[in-house]
Amino acid sequence: MDAHEYVVRMENISKIYPNGIAANREVNFSVREGEIHALIGENGAGKSTLMKILFGMEQPTAGKIYLNDQRITLSSPLQAISLGIGMVHQHFMLVPSLTVAENIVLGMAPTTKSGLFIDYKEAVRLTREYSEMYNLFVEPDARVADIAVGMKQKVEILKALVRGARVLILDEPTAVLTTQETAELFQELKNLKDQGFTIIFISHKLKEIKELTDRITIMRAGRSVGVYETASITEQEISRLMVGRDVVLKMDKPEAVPGERVLCVEDLHYVNEWGKKMLDGVSFSVRQGEIVGIAGVEGNGQRELVDILFGLKLPDSGDAMVDGQSLVGLPQARIRTLGVSYVPEDRMTFGIAQTANIEENVISDRYRHKRFNRGPLFNMKSLHDESDRLIMDYAVLCKSRSQEVGMLSGGNIQKVVVAREFSSDPILIIADQPTRGIDVGATELIRNKLVELSRAGMAVLLVSADLNEVMELSDNLIVMYNGQIAGYFDDGQWDDLMMGEYMLGLKRQSDDEIRRACHA
Amino acid sequence: MRDKRMVLFGFVRGAAAIVLALAVGAIFIFLSSDEPFTALRYLLIGPFVSFHGGVTAFNTQNFYQILAAMIPTIFTGLAVCVMFSANQFNLAAEGCVLVGGFVGSLIGIYANIATGWHPVICVLVSAVVCGLIMLIPSVLKVTLGASEMVTSLMLNFVLLYIVLHFLNYHFADRSKGATMTFPFLDSAKIPSLVSGTSKLTWGFVVALIISFLVWVFMYRTRWGYAIRMIGINESFSLYSGMNVGRMIILSSVIGGILSGMGGSLEVLGRYNTFVWRELPGYGWTGVTIAILAKNNPGAVPLAAFFLAYLNKGCQLMSTHSDVPSEMIDIIQAAIFLFFAAEQFLSGFRQKLVVKTTREELVRAESLDAIEGE
Repeated sequence: MDAHEYVVRMENISKIYPNGIAANREVNFSVREGEIHALIGENGAGKSTLMKILFGMEQPTAGKIYLNDQRITLSSPLQAISLGIGMVHQHFMLVPSLTVAENIVLGMAPTTKSGLFIDYKEAVRLTREYSEMYNLFVEPDARVADIAVGMKQKVEILKALVRGARVLILDEPTAVLTTQETAELFQELKNLKDQGFTIIFISHKLKEIKELTDRITIMRAGRSVGVYETASITEQEISRLMVGRDVVLKMDKPEAVPGERVLCVEDLHYVNEWGKKMLDGVSFSVRQGEIVGIAGVEGNGQRELVDILFGLKLPDSGDAMVDGQSLVGLPQARIRTLGVSYVPEDRMTFGIAQTANIEENVISDRYRHKRFNRGPLFNMKSLHDESDRLIMDYAVLCKSRSQEVGMLSGGNIQKVVVAREFSSDPILIIADQPTRGIDVGATELIRNKLVELSRAGMAVLLVSADLNEVMELSDNLIVMYNGQIAGYFDDGQWDDLMMGEYMLGLKRQSDDEIRRACHA
Repeated sequence: MRDKRMVLFGFVRGAAAIVLALAVGAIFIFLSSDEPFTALRYLLIGPFVSFHGGVTAFNTQNFYQILAAMIPTIFTGLAVCVMFSANQFNLAAEGCVLVGGFVGSLIGIYANIATGWHPVICVLVSAVVCGLIMLIPSVLKVTLGASEMVTSLMLNFVLLYIVLHFLNYHFADRSKGATMTFPFLDSAKIPSLVSGTSKLTWGFVVALIISFLVWVFMYRTRWGYAIRMIGINESFSLYSGMNVGRMIILSSVIGGILSGMGGSLEVLGRYNTFVWRELPGYGWTGVTIAILAKNNPGAVPLAAFFLAYLNKGCQLMSTHSDVPSEMIDIIQAAIFLFFAAEQFLSGFRQKLVVKTTREELVRAESLDAIEGE
């Protein structure tokens, strides 16, 4: 095979982060001109890092990059863009208060003759032109804050195209999309491919890869474990190569026996600072011994709901009660004493103190307890015992309890958070994206613990953007759309197509059906 | 393995900062002095060694003076440590030292208390007063979100002029040419620890004991723990159910208490009457000490010693050579810069991490290989 057929070649790329994590180890990766190339691997396998290196956001510790057989070194995304490499990030890099057209020309805006003002009409014209040329329909005058996720993604793609990208990197583009939006995106990507663009598609969803891509590079634990023609490899083979064994998607969990209601949410309303209705009459309850999952495309009120339940936001009206006691307006310390524990979505900000050690992190909610204090002093022995026990129970991979938490891998950091939150004898656990971005082992451990705790009688509220996760773990499932509950399912009979319809707002149950979520 | 290297790296990094700072000082000395080697000799080894008459000997009096100079700065260093640990950039230690000295003086002059208890009560009252003063910036911060850095900085000058007002109009000894208070009662003075003129008092012992207690407080009690966690990550602490506002106020009040103690111990130990007419500067030194000690109370006496030694060296240098004593400010500023610069030597740190990680990977793989067989 001749080397020159590759538009991008990355040779022996290694990347070691300042905290010691080896994200890439001597990875070889090459892409042919005009193909859709999948880069697949579990979370933390190093796909995103590899692509950040190709986009100039990270510098490799070792290795070479070739573009059309020219050796290049990339020190910034600006340089990558000028060489025709564009990237669409998992989390959109758009300015919400600006219009679509303004976002698209941001940083390269056409100016009026005087050179002082942005020629907005020209920006709109440019947006329309590209939008039509590549069949990516967007509304140039709409504010980005008001448009749907799917359209935001198109704006991101257009942004890259307008800047002259010939190679497009898409980092888990379907993670936030519904089934229908995903189908639309795929059509558009195939279109781009026909026009000669090269697309690198990062994902860990097997079905999508099979459907869309020509070739596939599989990564595991920072290494490339093989390159295949997509047509010549089965989903099972891919999954085996990805994780080194077949992915266990089915959870074995005993039947739930729901008891008393622990959390009662009654008619919550919340309007955000920009006047958008984020919660519009949400009522449900979570009972002892059950896992209630909340599914929904991000931005449909889940964030606000969780923030209210943990005292970060005040609802405009409505109430939320734990064990009959309202938690609205209570400080976090009081909410915790009611028996609520919380696995935060943003674990680095809320879940841990990075430069503190593991012990200091696992005791942060219970350090005042009599058990750990002797008069004014800490009882160091009982603190050590407690942290050692938690490190054991949750299999935190570390040198000792006095290791800095920030030095651990993402999965082990989350284990530290979960070890603390799950072990405080809560009556209600709110788990917000508990397994996002962590490795398979940690994910499995956390999921198993959630099931175990719920079967031991705790009430669990699970909010997750990972549809697979909510569908597998939940005993009962709530779908949120547009600040409301669009559907409540308690029969265990759900699949992703049906979820997609509710998540996108195509379907909605009757008020009576939704009211069942309250178990009143 | 990695941890050990990192600890070692911390020391090397600290030492490098000090050496570089001294090097910067040396450059200035060579630029400005006609006798740079004499100057450097006095700066670096002068504090310990006397050169008189061709005989070199350990200079006990200088050594005592250095220890004596550490008394107020240990206290301000500890005060700043506690406040910085809670991520409070509170600079009012400076004003609190002054107020502490003044309040201690007043009680030392006007209250007639049985010998023995007199200095104790002077120190305790000034500690309480300064603790209360620190409520101002911290309560403003917690309730209104006012930047403690701005309020505490301004508070220093408010405190200075209040003290001057009372000194000038209410407590001045009119029989003296300069503005000063009446002399302290003998019973109020802090007893000397050693004979001679060094002013090394029992205050030094108290400072060491308090350093240990503050370390215990920060690392072995629930309040110190909460203060440190809040300093590292306030959102995390809030989520964990800590009362963040109360702990921020507590840390500031403790800072005030420590500064006040330092001020009164210094004044009652060194002088016969209250003579400060401007901010004494110990608060600023305390900031440098806290940075040198990386907010660890246990390291504060060491850092205070280092700065006192440098100070003494500069003093000797300016007496015995043509280099002005302001050199200390240049060196201090350089240390400050090198320590505060987060990215200092970070490239080297990165290489170190890469190296250790590689080694670990190789080891892990060889283990895998062994298991595989």
